[in-house]
Amino acid sequence: MREITRRQAIGLGAFTLVLAGCGSDDTPAPGQAGTANRAGAMANYAVGQQFKATEPVNFSILYNNHSFYPIKNDWLFWQELTKRTNVTLNPTVVPLSDYENKRGLLIGAGDAPLIIPKTYHPQEEAFVASGAILPVSDYLDLLPNFKDKAAKWRLEPELNTLRQADGRFYLLPGIHEKSWSDYTYAVRTDILEELGLEVPKTYDDFYAMLKAMKEKYPDRYPMTDRWGVPTPGGNLFKLVARAYGTKGGWDYQHATWDAAAGKFVYTGAMPQYRQMIEYLRKLVAEKLLDPESFTQQDDPAKQKFVSGRSFVISGNAQELINSYRGPLTENIPDAKVAKIPVPTGPIGEYKHDSRLENGIMISKAALENKNFVAMMQFIDWLWYSDAGQEFAKWGVEGTTFTKDASGAYKLADDVDYVGLNAGAPKHLQKDFGFGNGVFAYGGPTKLLQSTFSEEEVAYQDVMNARQDYPVEPPHPFTEEEREQSTLWETALKDHVTQNTLRFVLGERDINEWDAYVKELEAKNSTSYITLVNTAYERFKKEHG
Amino acid sequence: MVTHQTTRGYRVFRVLNAVILTGVVVATLYPFLNIVAQSFSHERYILAGEVNLVPRGFNLTTYKIIASDPMFWTNYRNTVVYTVVATLVAMVLTTCYAYVLSKRHLKGRTFLIWVAVFTMFFNGGLIPNYVLVTSIGLKNTLWAIVLPNAISVFNLLVMKAFFENLPDELEEAAAIDGLNTYGILWRIVLPLSKAVIATMVLFYAVSFWNSWFTAFLYMSDAELFPVTVYLRNLIAGATGAEGAGAALGDVTQAASNIKSVTIVLTVLPILAVYPFVQRYFVSGVMLGAVKG
Repeated sequence: MREITRRQAIGLGAFTLVLAGCGSDDTPAPGQAGTANRAGAMANYAVGQQFKATEPVNFSILYNNHSFYPIKNDWLFWQELTKRTNVTLNPTVVPLSDYENKRGLLIGAGDAPLIIPKTYHPQEEAFVASGAILPVSDYLDLLPNFKDKAAKWRLEPELNTLRQADGRFYLLPGIHEKSWSDYTYAVRTDILEELGLEVPKTYDDFYAMLKAMKEKYPDRYPMTDRWGVPTPGGNLFKLVARAYGTKGGWDYQHATWDAAAGKFVYTGAMPQYRQMIEYLRKLVAEKLLDPESFTQQDDPAKQKFVSGRSFVISGNAQELINSYRGPLTENIPDAKVAKIPVPTGPIGEYKHDSRLENGIMISKAALENKNFVAMMQFIDWLWYSDAGQEFAKWGVEGTTFTKDASGAYKLADDVDYVGLNAGAPKHLQKDFGFGNGVFAYGGPTKLLQSTFSEEEVAYQDVMNARQDYPVEPPHPFTEEEREQSTLWETALKDHVTQNTLRFVLGERDINEWDAYVKELEAKNSTSYITLVNTAYERFKKEHG
Repeated sequence: MVTHQTTRGYRVFRVLNAVILTGVVVATLYPFLNIVAQSFSHERYILAGEVNLVPRGFNLTTYKIIASDPMFWTNYRNTVVYTVVATLVAMVLTTCYAYVLSKRHLKGRTFLIWVAVFTMFFNGGLIPNYVLVTSIGLKNTLWAIVLPNAISVFNLLVMKAFFENLPDELEEAAAIDGLNTYGILWRIVLPLSKAVIATMVLFYAVSFWNSWFTAFLYMSDAELFPVTVYLRNLIAGATGAEGAGAALGDVTQAASNIKSVTIVLTVLPILAVYPFVQRYFVSGVMLGAVKG
């Protein structure tokens, strides 16, 4: 190997600087570039107005092809969309199994379609640095419906969590009027009746319930859980941690906002995190909770539940119907199972779910498209206007659905959707292309709940009576900070996950908690939190 | 031979051998038979973990659902076409390349070998490959699947070794009798190489049949996907409730045996072809054994 001489090194360094200089120069002023490309755009597009391009236009879109309703070119959705808006969408079809890979590849290769839906925050962050996607927050003026709903529903704190260090956000999120709670526990209510128990309200009740089940059926674990792969205890840790005011499982993030102290603290070292562990540790120690719960595959957990060997399992509305109730009642005809409202803990009656949904990224190449403004108006109409959301979800009035005077939706008799008209010859998703996850999500609670069953609406009513848990302030990292934090995060996450499990399963004595916190500090948990708090202070100063 | 059969040690060996090999057969065959049984079983028994070797609650619902989708058949046809064309092209190119490399008197032979071997260790990476294939206009065509994978270096080297082992005298004799290079390859070398050709056809065909990634990369229209992509998506749609649970539209009717049905459907054709090719497989191995 030849060594690099000093002169070469300096030359190289200078060259890099020049490149870096070039990069920062051509950033356009916010909201300027592209807005002159108004071909096809409506002059006075506003809330409550039907968008219709003044000339026929085409937009390319990345399409997540769901296997349950694979894309068909003759869907009424496409025809009606073109009729109403003058827009034809050219989909690049990607199987849902590998949507993220293909999206990354297409953006990386500079071959991405203009509209890139079904992106879950923070997936968009990977593409921010390369400058391939549009900072949509600069163009909100082109999106009257989005702005209107965001203001009406007071979504500013949520939107702030999407902001990057430059104060902009790059993902146009799906927005809900009210947060939507779906994941909770499914409980055998016939066992509750048998034991004369109420549906548990708090985690203390939950414990008492499991205890009573254990007394009656001492030979089995009352609860065995699923959703442990790849995140151990994904749903269980998440829900219990929330009850104590911290984060675990699918929710786990290293930093948690401590409102009292006005700063972020390290999640895995919080006293609340310890309380969560102690609660679950008690369940495991008293054999109320199957120790395999945290790491087993879904199938064995489901098998134990539907064969009546356990009575409580994590679930959501869809799993309740598809995976639990049907198979369970075939095995045990008298069995009854229901979603219970998420039990509450010491912090009180809160609802923790976000009001943001997966959203849309827009390729920066769109700026050079002569129809840029028309495209933004189109996106605003289809995804964010009342008319657009109703169209995407329910279809065409008189053909696929009817609406009565009170505004309640009813499917046409020959059309089925989520089992509302089971046995009907046509299907809203498969045959018409409506209710499609790419186009229909979020929106007003009334629209969201229009397809829910009675028991699900009852569950939602209980949850909606609770207060929304306050949204944490944003702390976006710069590029270098993100790199540094990623290095620390991996080691920290492994250590937290491992020891959470060891504590819960009783393999490590809970009295070693202080030693465990020291170990985290040795893995830079303190430096990590300092970094987060610096970012938080900076963002507050510059953009707060 | 006769003495072997009579010794006690040999008898013990035979018994042990049979026992161990039966164990191996059971261990390899059981998971597959279990899958087949599951594919015909009712979801109730599958979810309760009660299906072993015999289907319980026999039903064909999932097969019917899959078979009634025209896209399944379109994609199945694609797989057949892709596999046949790709195997054909790959065989022609690999055979020619390998034959040339097997000639020690060839000028620049070392370089040509290194060109091939280099690609075993280094490649441009996903995005550059994608850009290349797209920019020469192969996207959404059959050739995007066929050409980038036409020469597998491993197969190439195996074939080269095989050709090197053919006696030079045969080719010299053919040359004296007036055959040119192509004639020698076509009339002398290839007929003698049935074993390696059958092996290579099998290797290529199986790998093209099972491959989904190239098609997934370069095809952006559902009608062009091979059946592997179709089935992979089907499984993801039926099981991926975790991340996608948020989207209300994505309510799936998860059939519990969709995975096993899928496996049976993809494996079946290969399974049907295998016994016919295996004949050459065995003779190929024997050939090597005698020479060694």
